[in-house]
Amino acid sequence: MLAATIIAACSNNPYPDADQDAKVLYTSFREAPRTLDPAVAYTSTAHHITANVFDTALEYHFRKRPYELIPGLVESVPSPEVREDGRIAYRFTLREGIRFHADACFVRYHGQDQRTRAVQASDFAFALMRLADPAVNSPIRSSLFAVNDFKSFGDRLVSMRMQDKSFAGLPVHEQYEMAGGIDGVLVHGTGTFEIALDQPDAQILYWFALPFTTPTAWEAVAYYDGNEGRERFADHPVGTGPFRLAAYDKQYRFVLAANEDWYGLKSAAPGSIFPSEGEAHDIASGVIDAASVGKPLPFLKRVEFRRERESIPRFNKFLQGYYDAGDIVKESFDSVVQNDRLSPEMADLGMKLEKAAEPTVYYIGFNMDDPVVGRAGGDRSRKLRQAMSLAIDAERYLKLFTNGRGVPAQSVLPPGLFGHDAGYRNPYRQPDLERAAALLVEAGYANGIDAESGAPLKLTFDTGNTTSQAKLQYQFHINAWRKLGLDVQLAVTNYNQFQAKVRRGAYQIFTWGWIADYPDPENFLFLLESSKARSESEGPNTANFKNAAYDRLFRDMEDMPNTEERRRLIVQMLEILERERPWIELYFRENYSLSHAWLRNTKPFGLTYPTYKYVDIDPVKRADLRRGWNAPVTWPLYALALLVIVLVAPGFATFYRERQ
Amino acid sequence: MHWISNLIVVLLVMGGAGLAQRLRHNRLWRHAAAELWARRRISIVVLGLFVLVALLDSVAWISSGDDSGDRVAASQPRSVIDRVFVPESFVETSYSAPFAEKGFYEDTALKHPGQHVLGTDILGNDVLYRTLKGVRVALLIGGLTSLIVIPIALFFGVSAGYFGGRIDDVVFFVMTVLASIPSLLLLIALIIVLGTGTLQVCIALGVTGWVSFCRISRGETLKLREADFVQAARALGTPERRIITKHILPNLAHLVVITFALLFTGLVLSETVLSYLGIGLDNSWGQMIDQARNELSRTPIIWWNIAGASTALFVLVLSVNLIADAVRDILDPRTLRERQ
Repeated sequence: MLAATIIAACSNNPYPDADQDAKVLYTSFREAPRTLDPAVAYTSTAHHITANVFDTALEYHFRKRPYELIPGLVESVPSPEVREDGRIAYRFTLREGIRFHADACFVRYHGQDQRTRAVQASDFAFALMRLADPAVNSPIRSSLFAVNDFKSFGDRLVSMRMQDKSFAGLPVHEQYEMAGGIDGVLVHGTGTFEIALDQPDAQILYWFALPFTTPTAWEAVAYYDGNEGRERFADHPVGTGPFRLAAYDKQYRFVLAANEDWYGLKSAAPGSIFPSEGEAHDIASGVIDAASVGKPLPFLKRVEFRRERESIPRFNKFLQGYYDAGDIVKESFDSVVQNDRLSPEMADLGMKLEKAAEPTVYYIGFNMDDPVVGRAGGDRSRKLRQAMSLAIDAERYLKLFTNGRGVPAQSVLPPGLFGHDAGYRNPYRQPDLERAAALLVEAGYANGIDAESGAPLKLTFDTGNTTSQAKLQYQFHINAWRKLGLDVQLAVTNYNQFQAKVRRGAYQIFTWGWIADYPDPENFLFLLESSKARSESEGPNTANFKNAAYDRLFRDMEDMPNTEERRRLIVQMLEILERERPWIELYFRENYSLSHAWLRNTKPFGLTYPTYKYVDIDPVKRADLRRGWNAPVTWPLYALALLVIVLVAPGFATFYRERQ
Repeated sequence: MHWISNLIVVLLVMGGAGLAQRLRHNRLWRHAAAELWARRRISIVVLGLFVLVALLDSVAWISSGDDSGDRVAASQPRSVIDRVFVPESFVETSYSAPFAEKGFYEDTALKHPGQHVLGTDILGNDVLYRTLKGVRVALLIGGLTSLIVIPIALFFGVSAGYFGGRIDDVVFFVMTVLASIPSLLLLIALIIVLGTGTLQVCIALGVTGWVSFCRISRGETLKLREADFVQAARALGTPERRIITKHILPNLAHLVVITFALLFTGLVLSETVLSYLGIGLDNSWGQMIDQARNELSRTPIIWWNIAGASTALFVLVLSVNLIADAVRDILDPRTLRERQ
């Protein structure tokens, strides 16, 4: 009875009661990130922390699509200016009152009473020098080679370190100073810096909206070196963001706490006020709370990450209300989403389902260097590619293999990007077997037989994915082409052998995907530009598509601002791709996320940089619903107790009767 | 290539008939076969059916004027099983449950309502057809690999056991080295080097699988070498080669039969593990199970896809194991003595 009473008094709530009414967001992580160094961290788990701990010079507008850059730590989004020395420069002017999170590293170098310091332009220069330093191993190093002297600064550092061991032993900020800094990063006083390039490069600004270029305190890098019991900088981020990392236990939990000294609390920067402008349907669809508009950010006091290794327990805790938002587990997809909408059971719980196409594209590509499917075949091959494109039903593919998660692609540009036209219907991406068969007849491959030689046409679909699941997906495409009489054989090798095939150019048809670094059409259209052809430069143009008109349009378009003229050029480029068919565009990946009724401003961001400063919570509603969903069911305990009494009581009665 | 397969089938059938004819004249084998039939009738029938299906799936030809409507299929050799099922047209758009009238995803009527005994898979292929196609692969894996393993193991085992000395040292060293390498890792490495064809997988399984039988045959040969009849043959000046072929090998025959049966089931199961790791064979049960495994954890559950392959695998392995058990009892002189 005592045990029953104790158990009945227990609750399954894993959080302290004191936090019940606080604006604390609960979420989960599977594996701790390998690094939180902003110059290196490139995984989505790491970005959940780095995108909130580190502020950036520029930010993306939370509500506007296509994505738009707004000023973050700087006063305005810079425009290209021509310097006296003829170079193109982007000038960044810092806001007042930006300070690093209070940390012991500042005490070490500036005295006991200085636990923080103001951010200066030189902190941006230091961050850029770290990106250029090959020893830091930043994944975006090569993306900034357009900055004058960026690459040679890194090379200079390497040679100086090799020649002089004492130099290599110095703290990195001293090494950078002795190496003379980067010629293309010019610091003017404490509040202004310039990025100088030989040619305009509009895309370079996108890198200043990512945590890689966040201002970095040299004190933090020097102090957190992993020696004498100190942590590594990779585990101890010191930033300026709206949240600071208050606890970091890789095995159990991370905590982000609101930064009370955040610059946004003292200024009216666009990134510190909840935006009033945005997509028209935001408020009506419930992904934006009208009451939040115009309010200062952030809303949350804390963000708690708990470790959940398995997806099913994580999803169950979400259903119990102990996580505020969650991904849909594949196994439960059909019971959560029905007919592309939230199931009635989930809708009754007040849940919200948000879908957002990510800046990705998945496609089947043809090797345009191949004599049969490529450019050498001229009009014949073009019609063959057009026919094969007409046979592939991307919508059906998504339904079978991704639970419908994904948007069938009509072009290479995903939704949310400038140049994407939601009304556009690619004539070769509407499944039509009759038209495809007619095109094959025109191409001289009627029913898969080469009219010239009389022999059946045999093609190969090359892949480096040997899993049974992937084979099913490839078989789906092969079956579709088979309906046209095309004999496409699957050539499965391990990934290394496949890479070797690609290097040799010994492939015909392949499938690939691309995840954008930044949301600009240039970052997709460059995948088919001839100088990026794999056969020429080991570039990402695996289709080896080379078209002079496309290249010319690309060069005109790449550095243009998002104007109508740019849109016109993009349309022309897409027309070339539509006709030439180097790719069969399959789909854009779609992220489905579930959130509870008490979570506000859950508009999906699409990019992998979660911004908790816009999220708000109604803790009272959460506590009420949680209590209702987790009310203990005690009757089985009482039934068990009764059963024990019924079974044991006769035994006791017999025992006493016999003793007497 | 299909005529090679057809020729092998003819040779196998003729070889099997010839062997049966030969064994009929040997009293020991005739009695053993009769006892085995008496003890394991059902298992033998089941195994016979599996062998029949595999043989029917191995006889293939290209027929002119094929009217299946599928140009690619008509141009390729098709086996008896393919011709019975006609998979190009006996297909649905996606999943359907056994004997279902409607599809699992769409509420529309199937093209072949109520005809898919084991339902259809994600691409709409008939699961019974895929299961039957897996029989040939399973028997090929088990049979071909055993044909590689047993001669190698016998050669090295008998040589080491009979001649001893340096030969024994070398063979034993090789066996010890191979036994100390985790077999799965060695298998994966070999398949990565050799490729993933049927012959390559059989060779890889053979290289990693001969050690245990080699050890048994070596031990048995060591014992036989000291037996009176071998000593007598040697005293009479019989050549070594003749002693081995006439006195040692016949006395290892029961071990070969038992090992073959046990090895066979182990190899069929090994292929399943390889498929799980993405390096198995196409059309195998392992691949079917691997493709279907995610469907078991989803709601609503799709069970029929995994049921076909795993039931066939279970029945084959069980029947072979039951037969092997009986063969061991019948042929092993020790159990024979115990029974008498």
